[in-house]
Amino acid sequence: MSSSPDETALLLDISGLHYRYAGAQADALADLDLTVREGEFVAVVGANGSGKSTLARLLGGLEKPAAARRALACGHDLLGEDGRMAVRRDVGVLFQNPENQLVAQCVEDDVAFGLENLAWPAADIGRRVDEMLAHFGLEELRRREPHLLSGGQKQRTALAGVIAIPRRILVLDEPTAMLDPAGRDEVLIAVRELRGEGLAIVYITQEMDETVGADRVVALERGTEAYAGDAGGLFADTALVRRLGLGLPAAGELALALAEQGRDLPGLPLTMDELLDALGAAT
Amino acid sequence: MSGPEAIAGAAPDTPRAPGAAGMSLACGDVSFSYEEARAPIPALRDVSFELRAGGSLALMGASGSGKSTLLQVIRGLDAPESGAVLLDGAGPADTLYAALQREVGLVFQAPELQLFASTARDDVAFGPRRLGWPEAQVTAAVNTALDVVGLPPARFAERHPYALSGGEQRRLALAGVLAMGPRLLLLDEPFVSLDPGTRRQLVGILERLKAAGVTLLLATHDVDLAWALCDELLVLGEGRVVAAGPWDFSTAGDRLLAANRLRDPFFVELWRRLGRDPQRAPRTAAEAAEALS
Repeated sequence: MSSSPDETALLLDISGLHYRYAGAQADALADLDLTVREGEFVAVVGANGSGKSTLARLLGGLEKPAAARRALACGHDLLGEDGRMAVRRDVGVLFQNPENQLVAQCVEDDVAFGLENLAWPAADIGRRVDEMLAHFGLEELRRREPHLLSGGQKQRTALAGVIAIPRRILVLDEPTAMLDPAGRDEVLIAVRELRGEGLAIVYITQEMDETVGADRVVALERGTEAYAGDAGGLFADTALVRRLGLGLPAAGELALALAEQGRDLPGLPLTMDELLDALGAAT
Repeated sequence: MSGPEAIAGAAPDTPRAPGAAGMSLACGDVSFSYEEARAPIPALRDVSFELRAGGSLALMGASGSGKSTLLQVIRGLDAPESGAVLLDGAGPADTLYAALQREVGLVFQAPELQLFASTARDDVAFGPRRLGWPEAQVTAAVNTALDVVGLPPARFAERHPYALSGGEQRRLALAGVLAMGPRLLLLDEPFVSLDPGTRRQLVGILERLKAAGVTLLLATHDVDLAWALCDELLVLGEGRVVAAGPWDFSTAGDRLLAANRLRDPFFVELWRRLGRDPQRAPRTAAEAAEALS
C-alpha cells in the first residue's frame, strides 16, 4: 500500500475533464475527476463504452481534452500541446494487444526502441536494456523474434519497452485480456513489482479479481465517476455493481448466491482464501 | 447422431432456424502450416478429435498453440495439408460437403471489427442474402437472430453499427453468424474485452443455443467460463493435441492444465480445498451455493 497520502507527490491531478469524439452525440468523458499519488495503484473499471480507453489515451498525452478545470500529469498541462508532448516522457501507456506494440526484429531491439528515439547514447541504451531484460525475466529471449514469443512474453517485452524510459506513471489498458492464465500471472507480478518501486499505476481491467488489493477502485459510467473507494466498498453495493455492468470476483458471486439461499457469510469474501475462511467461520 | 443422410433430402441452401439439430465434427490427423519466406511454420500437427452433435467443447492452450488456425480449418477457410475434417460424417469428397461447411458458423475474435453495413439489419442480412435466400426468409432470419442475441429488431435493426456500444457490436456480429442457422458454432475468444455484464449475457445466449442442440466449439483462455459452458475440453500445445475428452481433475489431469499455461477452474480449486471431489465440482455460483447450503 502507499504511504500516507499527504506525504507523496500528486502525480495525476485532474478535475472536470471532458472529451468527445468527432461526430459523437455525447461526451466520452464528462466532468471526470481523478487524482493519483506516487506509488498508488488505482484500478479503473466500467462497462464497454464507459470511457476507460479514452481516459488512458488522454492520460498518455495521445489525445487533447475538450475541456478541463485542471488536467495535470506530472505537472504537465494536458490542455496544451507542449504539456502533452512532455507528458509522453513521464507517462507510459500499455495497451491490450501486444501484437500492435512490438515493432523491432527481436526482443532487445524492441526494448531499446523508445530510448533510441530519445537519442540516448548507445552505451546507456545497452545498460538500460540489460537492466530491463533482467527485471522482466527476458534475458534468455533477447534475440528472439517477437512473433515466436508467447502472449505473456510479448506483453512483458512491450512493458519492458514502455518502462525502459524512466516513467513516473504507468497506464495499463486491459494488459492481460488476451493472455493465457500463466501469461496473465506473469504480467500481474511484473506490475506489482513496479508499484513497489514507486510508480503510480492506473490499471484498467474487466477482470474483477484484478481489482482486489488496489489502493483505490474508480468505476466509470458514461464517462464520469460512479464510484471511487476500495474494492470491498464497490462490491458490497451489488445494485451499483449490476447497474454499472460489472460483476464480483468469483468468491463474491458465490457469497451472494449463498445469501440468496439463506446462508449469510461473515463479510464479503473477494478471494479464494477469504471465502474459505468465511465458510469455515460460518460452519 | 445425424449422419450425412439426415440432410441428404434437403436442398443444399435450405436455411435452418437457429437451434436446428447440431452437427457432429471429427478431425482426423489434420495438419496445417503457414507459408513463411524461410520455411513453413507448422501450426497444426496430426490433430484428431471428435465432437458429437449437440456437444460442447472448450478449445484451450497457450497463445500460439493453434486454436484459431484449427477453427479456420474446420470452417474451411484454410484447407488442411493432410488429414480431413468430417462434418456429420461427410468428408471433402462428398457432394454435400460445401453445403455442410456453410452450416458451420465462425465468430472471429473481435468480430465487431468486421461490421460494415450502414444498419444493423443489413449487416446481419449480408450472409443470408449471399446464400440467395428469398427476402422474406432473410427478414425472418435477421429478426430471429437479433432477438436471440438480445438486440430486439424494433429498437436496434435500423441503428448504425458504429453507433452501438462495444458489447452490442459483439452481439450484432454474433447475430450475423446465427442468422445463417449454424448447426456447429465456432467461437474464437468471444469473451475477451467484454465487461462482466455483457459476458453474462453472452453466456446466457450460448447456454440457450446449446440447449437448442447447436454444437459448440469455444476457443478461450477463460477456464472458468469454459468449465461453466463446455462438457469436454481439447488442449492444444504447439499444434498437437495434448488432451481431448471429458474434463479430468485427477492428479494427472491437474498437472496437464498447469503444464499448458492454464489453471483449474475456480470452483474445481474450491472443491479441492474443501476436501470434496474436484471431479464433481459445480459449474456455476448457483450450483455451488446449492451444494454448500
